[in-house]
Amino acid sequence: MPAASRFSARHIVFLVVLAAVTLPLIFNLSLTHTVTPETQQVYANIDSLAAGELLLLSFDFEASSLPEVRPLAMALIRHAFSRDLKIMGMSLFAEGTALGEQTIRQVAKEYNKQYGVDWVYLGFRPQRESAILSLGESVSAEFPRDYFGTPTTGMPIFAAADSYAQIATVISIADGDMPSYWIEYAVSPHAVNLQAAVTASMATSFYPYLQSHQLKGLLAGLKGAAEYENLIERKGGGARGLYALSVSQFVIVLVIIAGNVVERVRRRRN
Amino acid sequence: MDLGTIIAAIATLAIFSFLYKDNPFYRMAEHILIGLSVGFTLVLLWNSVLTPKLFVPLFSKGDLWSLIPFAMSILMLMRLRGSWSKFSKPVMALIIGAGAGLSIPARMDARILKQLSATIEPFSAMGLGQLSAGDIFNAILGLIAVLTVMVYFFYTRPDNKPVRAISQVGIYFLMIFFGATFGYTVTSRLTLLIGRIEFLLSDFLHLI
Repeated sequence: MPAASRFSARHIVFLVVLAAVTLPLIFNLSLTHTVTPETQQVYANIDSLAAGELLLLSFDFEASSLPEVRPLAMALIRHAFSRDLKIMGMSLFAEGTALGEQTIRQVAKEYNKQYGVDWVYLGFRPQRESAILSLGESVSAEFPRDYFGTPTTGMPIFAAADSYAQIATVISIADGDMPSYWIEYAVSPHAVNLQAAVTASMATSFYPYLQSHQLKGLLAGLKGAAEYENLIERKGGGARGLYALSVSQFVIVLVIIAGNVVERVRRRRN
Repeated sequence: MDLGTIIAAIATLAIFSFLYKDNPFYRMAEHILIGLSVGFTLVLLWNSVLTPKLFVPLFSKGDLWSLIPFAMSILMLMRLRGSWSKFSKPVMALIIGAGAGLSIPARMDARILKQLSATIEPFSAMGLGQLSAGDIFNAILGLIAVLTVMVYFFYTRPDNKPVRAISQVGIYFLMIFFGATFGYTVTSRLTLLIGRIEFLLSDFLHLI
């Protein structure tokens, strides 16, 4: 039998991590946690908007990061619809386009929101720089038709707002550095009120923008989603996964320590 | 259970099978993923860019101005053949020139001027007595981090003991940043695993 196919210590580690992730999910264990100021800030910003105000959600992620960004998006959309805010959805990533539409549609159904009146999905635009800049001129000119091919000009949602000046806040839900493009081409020239919901791996890149007030709020990873679900008092994917995440991280630390101990003992023997 | 869930579960298990060893099921799932991704992007670009921005204006509305971007697109494709690649250069020059013109002032403002201002701003508030002890500590620490890391990346610096010591401090700040980023990245990857396991347990196996 070739060496690569043998069951090795590597496989034991995989099984231990699998158990650490699976068991908390099966037994539906939950964890109490505090809400960080960054998450609180996003919640406060959306909560302070009056009914009927408009949010622009940009789904700037790929399918591979869906498990991490979907709970963030769901919590944000639930909060917005529960406050009777209107939502325009779009995407600057081809793969995020269909996923964004599915996510808004699912939550809109929960809150009985009407397409074209309470929400609209504009679809995908390539060339992120020019797309972000042209939205400052006119959203309906940049998107004369929505994702489904319907003309946007007659839609009631466009009667209230058609450019950044009338959009209360823009939220980039991203798995990469797309919020930095929004900062460069929407915040700097148009003073857009921008918030970001990003994967945990991107969080450290955006803290400086939060401190410089170029970002008005930052939600990061599964922990951010769980915190937001706490604030809107509606459990979802964030709260469900948080205990599994904590247990699996603890197990990984134990595995690292065990690996080092075993290696040290082996070296001494040799 | 719908067919989509069954296919998604099989694809997930096929990808996870790589954790044991490389195998044909993993390869098949990998190729399907790449194929689907490219196919979806092509169809999306056709429907949301080429049709509304080129074909409809050109063929339905007779807008001859659309021929200019169309011709430029064709010139870009000339890069595929070595001897014709020179025809794509003017278009490349236009793209790079416009890109640089757009991005240099935007980046200068967003990533340098605003960040510099945010680093220095707390010190003016400090003079007015508006900051707490914690804020003052953070402001000073932030400034030390910025200066020492800049010294580390300043390659033409004089090579003497004090400058080396300052750049050493910069290295520690960089390591803290990389450590935090790595920790967040591990969290991110575990979240993806949790997402797939949750899908298998709930939608596929109905255990939770």
